Amino acid sequence: MNDAINFMNMEGLKFFGRVNASISHELKNILAIISETAGFSNDLTDLAKKGKVLDLSLIESCNDSIAEEIQRGFTTIKQMNRFAHSVDVPIKDIDLLETLDLTIKLSSFLSFASHVRITNPGKEIKSVLTCPFLMQNLIYQILCFTYESVGPGGEVHLQIDSEENGGIHLVFSSSVELVLEGFPNQNIQKTADILGVEFNINTSSIELDIWIPYVSDKINLLSEEL
Amino acid sequence: MKVILVDDEQKFIIMLAKRLAFRGIQADAVFSGEDAIQKIQHLDYDVAVLDIKMPGISGLELKKKLSSLAPELKFIFVTGHGAKNILENDLVIKNIFLSKPLNIDTLIKIINEITKK
Repeated sequence: MNDAINFMNMEGLKFFGRVNASISHELKNILAIISETAGFSNDLTDLAKKGKVLDLSLIESCNDSIAEEIQRGFTTIKQMNRFAHSVDVPIKDIDLLETLDLTIKLSSFLSFASHVRITNPGKEIKSVLTCPFLMQNLIYQILCFTYESVGPGGEVHLQIDSEENGGIHLVFSSSVELVLEGFPNQNIQKTADILGVEFNINTSSIELDIWIPYVSDKINLLSEEL
Repeated sequence: MKVILVDDEQKFIIMLAKRLAFRGIQADAVFSGEDAIQKIQHLDYDVAVLDIKMPGISGLELKKKLSSLAPELKFIFVTGHGAKNILENDLVIKNIFLSKPLNIDTLIKIINEITKK
């Protein structure tokens, strides 16, 4: 169990660093757009001072663009805050849909991210007793794998099926073939083992089925150690 | 002076192109490495300003491809990442990197310096 905790710590730090790097990149892009737009607005007013007629619609367009980017910045920081608080409680009952929502949003900051479409939205599911941060890490790694498989501009489909007892299936697929060679890698498998998560790779229909238990003996053991 | 700007952040690159035009530098904005390769095959440019990380082909890989199509083309890289992230191989040693948000006067100064004959 000490091995599991050490692994969680190391992987957790890597995950935290990776997500924060992508968030900082996103915020830098937002600030770059605001900077260039404000600079363009200044250029227009400088030209107006030199006697050129000022096209007010261009100034309005700059203002709208800056407002949009500020909103985009707030949305990004909101996800950053949600992520930061996901370590508040090491083991707890989670709403997996909320965890999925956050993880999909965090992964969207990656340069190679694809669009994720939940094919059966509005589904109500039971809570899952797990380590929220580690579960996010696992789903994030799985999303990265699918993004690399479908390529930029592609779309990942996600179907969520909950069993009466047992657990929840997250079934990943795409309109293009998911290349599942090399999945799961060692880190993904180890993380899944700690969480009691199982994989079912349906090679004939090229789907990736992730089974997440509502309650796992492994999580109960972990809870005693933490 | 003709510059090609390559970045998947469309608003950023469109604004930058407009600001360079105000300063007498003709700049074309494209939003992907693939589009840049298409453009270079039909038009001549003096300088390419490339984002380091884009979906699909990266800035450094794009430089290799563009150089083979236009050997005289000069390059400036723009990054939203910290400098350490890009110190991965020999390719970075002789390249110019600017961090976002850009200072347009600095960019123009560098464009003028690297295109001096």
